[in-house]
Amino acid sequence: MSRPSALMREASLLRRDRGFLTWVCVVLALAAIAVISGLNEVAHQRATLAKLLDADREDREVALAKQSDWGSAAYYSFHLTYDPPSEFAFAALGRRDQDPWKHRVRMLALEGQIYERDVGNPVLALIGRFDYAFFAAFVLPIVLIVLLHDLHASERSAGRHGLLVTTAGKTSRPWRMRALLRSAAVFFAAVLPLLVVSLNTGVSLLTTTIAVSALLSYVGLWTVLCTWIASKERSAEVLLAFSLGIWMLVAVILPAGAKVTIDRLAPVPSGADITLTQREAVNDAWDLPKATTMDAFIKRHPEWTEYTEMSRPFEWKWYYAFQQVGDQSTEALSGAYRQGRIERDRLAAIAAWLSPPALLERVFQRLANTDIKASLVYEAEVRSFHAQLRAFFYQKMFRERPYDKAALESLPEFAPSGTTL
Amino acid sequence: MNKILLVARDEWRYWRRSNLALWSALLFAVLLVVTATLTALRMEQERNERIHHQAEAEETFLSQPARHPHRMVHYGHYVFRAPSPLSLIDPGLDPVTGQSIFLEGHRQNSAMFADSSVSADLGGLSWLTPAMVYQLFGPLLLILLGHGAIVREREASTLAALQAQGLSGFDLVAGKALALNAAILVLLLPLGASALAAISMGESMIAALALIAIYFLYLNVWSLLSLLLSVLLQRRSTVLTGLTALWLFGTLLLPALAVSNTTREFPLAGKIEVDLAMLEEVRKLGDGHNTEDPAFQKLRADLFNRYKVDKVEDLPVNLRGVVATQGEATLTETMNEFADRRMAGELKQASLLNRHGWLTPTLAVARASRAVSGTALETHQRFLREAEAVRFDFVQGLNKVHAEELSYVDDINRNSSDPEVEKRSRVDAANWQVLGNFRFEPASGGIRIGNAGSSVLALTCWCLLLAAGSILFGSRLKP
Repeated sequence: MSRPSALMREASLLRRDRGFLTWVCVVLALAAIAVISGLNEVAHQRATLAKLLDADREDREVALAKQSDWGSAAYYSFHLTYDPPSEFAFAALGRRDQDPWKHRVRMLALEGQIYERDVGNPVLALIGRFDYAFFAAFVLPIVLIVLLHDLHASERSAGRHGLLVTTAGKTSRPWRMRALLRSAAVFFAAVLPLLVVSLNTGVSLLTTTIAVSALLSYVGLWTVLCTWIASKERSAEVLLAFSLGIWMLVAVILPAGAKVTIDRLAPVPSGADITLTQREAVNDAWDLPKATTMDAFIKRHPEWTEYTEMSRPFEWKWYYAFQQVGDQSTEALSGAYRQGRIERDRLAAIAAWLSPPALLERVFQRLANTDIKASLVYEAEVRSFHAQLRAFFYQKMFRERPYDKAALESLPEFAPSGTTL
Repeated sequence: MNKILLVARDEWRYWRRSNLALWSALLFAVLLVVTATLTALRMEQERNERIHHQAEAEETFLSQPARHPHRMVHYGHYVFRAPSPLSLIDPGLDPVTGQSIFLEGHRQNSAMFADSSVSADLGGLSWLTPAMVYQLFGPLLLILLGHGAIVREREASTLAALQAQGLSGFDLVAGKALALNAAILVLLLPLGASALAAISMGESMIAALALIAIYFLYLNVWSLLSLLLSVLLQRRSTVLTGLTALWLFGTLLLPALAVSNTTREFPLAGKIEVDLAMLEEVRKLGDGHNTEDPAFQKLRADLFNRYKVDKVEDLPVNLRGVVATQGEATLTETMNEFADRRMAGELKQASLLNRHGWLTPTLAVARASRAVSGTALETHQRFLREAEAVRFDFVQGLNKVHAEELSYVDDINRNSSDPEVEKRSRVDAANWQVLGNFRFEPASGGIRIGNAGSSVLALTCWCLLLAAGSILFGSRLKP
């Protein structure tokens, strides 16, 4: 029996297998729904940002129009910072439901502002949206398990197993081909909507290639696993239960165990400690000798050493200096908070190799720039923008430049880096 | 009745001899016990930490030295949401919502620091809790136990023999259902143990019992579903793949699809967006720091009239404090209006999502379980409201001190370089007692059970419908 004709025969058998065809259609439909709902959400996020940018500018202009000194201008003007969704974000919405991707900050101590959470409805975040990454990582393997677990067992219970083995020459051949055909059909049904959208929405070719290859390897891995399990001489129910057990293990139990372990291995200081410490430092400054605050301030900003003299009991430059000193006082804690999250993510990246579903989801979220790394990058961008804001106003306040509304036109503006792969 | 018991006992004997049933049950039990222990430890630690932080925050506030009262308004206060005792079974929204809020004058801040934002991310299903084990894996175990109940007898041709001995289809189905029910009761034992632990921590008995009842209903949905398919279909493998497909749709796909559908149907503006709209309103209200603000001209004139004076300095109260009080009150009214609107929007989304509970029992049980455990959206919103009440009370308390204990003249000289004059702008630290104690407690068991109402109704309907189907088709059972 030659291979092509065997292939044709298996293919024509599959074409008549209604159960199988239904599954392929379901996979295609689910992949399409995942992609479409992802696109909807991304469009919604972009529209929100466009609206916010306008409202933010307007609010700032109105607020600034009423001010007559640099200090109040800084105090009353808020600035929108944000992390726009990437082109590929439709495929993996990732952390964007749980972690904030927009803030409005002003020149006060940043540690009191950066942990604000403007996030969506927690009920929805808890369950998580149906995005492509979830579909591929968690749903697709179960479809493969259902389709492949009884390759042998069904023939065995139909009494054809022995016949097929003896006529096929090599024992493994017909099963392998069947498994391959079934998986290939599932893979194409799953990948088609992703490809169509990726190629038509400006997703880079590199991103698309990596995503498709990751998906292909993932489907390949589950195919090999399922066919290996299916070849065991057990009843279909035992094989199905065993395959589902493997899925449970790698999709839920191992990740959950790894998560608990990692969270213990890499401690993160309590957020409450950061904000409490920061508040004490900022408020105590009112009662401290002004020189104490200024000394701590110029340690960080020696360039203003000559300008710290104060002629009045209240001066804005002192006010903002102690805001900055407040941030400085929590640097160790907030640095540990950040480092802890980076360390947890690093360990999670390693642990994900134990769990192919988690690994695939992480790959997709990295490509989409919607993972923890992206949240941390955004946070760093907010910090650097806040530093620019300080640099701008320090120039005016310490040099005691006369208030000039026109100069506010050159206020720093937040620009997202949009770093993706 | 005897016959039914006999069938049930026979089914148990079959499971005891089946390696598959034994191993699956054992793995389920181990997973459940480990998860329950870990979750209990974690939530207990969270609870202690937050209660400790709350006490600490109150202590620091009260121990502040004499100050200008408005400085204390901006010094602010922190409140922490302590998790409910039943959260050791279902932490619900706790990890995805901020657990503390900074309270200060003129602003409603968002809740900060959610566990999910700092935890290692290992995929969407890695927050394993006892609730999730029951919701996700309980059905799988029941499918394994229940799928063969009738179809097995059919395939082995024992069905005809059983019926020939005078066993009616109804007896057979009822007996198998009884056996499955007994299995469910055994599966619920760890839940019972966790519930006892929660009761010992002060949980209301009725809420704990309701939680067990909810999971009993949910597991029954799946056992009845297995039974029904086992009655209806001819081959064991079809029953099993059919049930697996239903499990995939019911527990994994439909809940996630329901979320996407809800946001598409009813998108909600975020806090910044709402805040910006609110700021537009607020600008019309007047700045409570500024006694010259035109918004307060009427207030000033009224005060002058009431006390028959024509100079601010002659008023028996400090105009700046009165203006701050008035400003805070009107501002809070507006802020609450917008916050209420946003919370109502969230509830609307949640109820749209809950409506999908009629499509899949998993959504219904998840919702009911959170509601009864005191970890649902209602709980978080109540925390936000209680926090706001604390905020308003202490800010207005301080504003009252500002108006009554500090003279206007001393107040406007607060930035004087003369330390004696500056000192007169401070009020005694005894005034900080305006801050009350705050402990976030779960709502009463009755209220929580009430919140779960529609979801419990959905689960009950699922059960009744499936039971009716099993009985109907079971009594027509033919070999």
